[in-house]
Amino acid sequence: MPILDDDVRAEVEKFLEQVEKPVKLVVFTQEFECDYCLETRSLVEEVAELSEHLTAEVYDFVADEAKAEELGIDKIPAIAIIGEQDYGVRFYGIPSGYEFSSFLHTIHLVSEGKSELSDAALAALAELTEPVHMQVFVTPTCPYCPQAVVLAHQMAIASPMVRGDMVEAMEFPQLSVKYQVMGVPRTVINETVHIEGAAPESMVLAKVQEALTGAAG
Amino acid sequence: MLDFKLSKPTAEPEPAETFHIPEPADGIYDLIILGGGPSGMTAAIYAGRAAIKTLVLAGSMPGGQMSNTDTVENFPGFPDSVKGAELAMLFQRQAERFGARFALETVTAVDFSKRPFTIRTDMREYKARTVIVATGAVPRLMGVPGEKTFFGRGVSTCATCDAFFYRGKKVVVVGGGDSALDEGIVLTRFADQVTIIHRRDELRATKIYQERAKANPKINFMLDSVVDEVLGDKTVTGVRVRNVKTGETTVVDTDGVFVYIGMIPKTEMFKGQLELDEWGYISSDENQNTCVPGVFVSGDVQDPYYRQVVVAAGTGAIAAMEAEKFLGEYPELDGPEQLLYCPDPEK
Repeated sequence: MPILDDDVRAEVEKFLEQVEKPVKLVVFTQEFECDYCLETRSLVEEVAELSEHLTAEVYDFVADEAKAEELGIDKIPAIAIIGEQDYGVRFYGIPSGYEFSSFLHTIHLVSEGKSELSDAALAALAELTEPVHMQVFVTPTCPYCPQAVVLAHQMAIASPMVRGDMVEAMEFPQLSVKYQVMGVPRTVINETVHIEGAAPESMVLAKVQEALTGAAG
Repeated sequence: MLDFKLSKPTAEPEPAETFHIPEPADGIYDLIILGGGPSGMTAAIYAGRAAIKTLVLAGSMPGGQMSNTDTVENFPGFPDSVKGAELAMLFQRQAERFGARFALETVTAVDFSKRPFTIRTDMREYKARTVIVATGAVPRLMGVPGEKTFFGRGVSTCATCDAFFYRGKKVVVVGGGDSALDEGIVLTRFADQVTIIHRRDELRATKIYQERAKANPKINFMLDSVVDEVLGDKTVTGVRVRNVKTGETTVVDTDGVFVYIGMIPKTEMFKGQLELDEWGYISSDENQNTCVPGVFVSGDVQDPYYRQVVVAAGTGAIAAMEAEKFLGEYPELDGPEQLLYCPDPEK
């Protein structure tokens, strides 16, 4: 049975008309499929069918270990969205509910290879010399979350130093415990600094600086 | 739980039924609406239909408070109730159909002292001939020790977002209105026990919510009670509760604190530019005019009493119709300059 119903499929197809350059949706699952692994793979395959510029690639997390390592995939279900290059944009857990719009929005941004960040933000990101890993914890019913997710993904697109992950908290309870996630969105930057809620661009950048200077000092 | 919402602008609808309005050539919008809740989106529907070049600065969350409301049961036309998130999406789709542009940007400053008006967001600057302020309201916090410390680590104002983290746990809900009871009921889907703490001896919520909450075996009540402190270690472990009649203090063990004690209008950035009442709500006349001609106001940001989706939508429609009238009367970049001030601008 398809994941997307006909109405949604039609809307997605229209949305994807904006995508004019090739984008690969690389999904990781495993033979004995995990919770939502099957659904995530079906979702990716169904979405990829709706645009000539999208292709789905399916890998097995165990059998294709080398590929997982190459893309830095450490848990499943996972989707890497890759455009002209790999910008470090990842979704861990199924992008359902509000996150489905983050998923589509991110596909479009990756296809363009361009963020919609302000000039000031781009200038600050250009200065980065150390890696920045942003993990945005979400639930599918959180209306504030897509803003935080898309912002992290835009920063990843804008800077080769930044990786941006959506992490669906319900599917990775051990990470929710590890990072003490009790409310979403919660953005964890380089393991050390965190942001509660959907913060504006400038505040997120300040937190990135905090994470980097904290690590240095 | 697997549903797929399209809350972002999706695509251009069918040309036959859409009215596409391009970005203004001179960079000046006829109308900028600050806020993407029911009021701002209704204003956008009306403005779009009047072929006014409209931009909606929807902030971080299109749909506003509607989006984090589980179920809306009192919006006419939805006899079987509708999910708040779904209603928000329908509002936006309707506004976009009539050509309104949406930007998910947060307004940081405005200048209403000269025309065209200037609006600054976290990302860029815009100019507009008219403005509708529909910034809405944000949840009020208790202002007690521990509340800020544990925000996001047990303290929350969004049960829809965070209920999942309380599976099998105990939570308290602070407040006695519709939101407190409705979200308390949402929390019982995950939490084992929900204690509703309310400062008075009777609840303020609509009868239908009261009956449902009282019939729910997971919900209990502490009336005449206020929270004096949120206690915790790494995360919340309890709240110190004081009975306002007896003065007696007890510690209630809890894993989460959901605060639903009303709203604060989002008007900080309008201080010194528009007239605010003592609670911070924007003052207006019955036609949604503020003291600056060409700047209108609608929705919860000017409504301390009703705070309903349907009322916010109603005042949004009035504001847009008044903006249209204003643009008709002052088609150029002028306006009644002599009135471009507010009473007590220093206040």
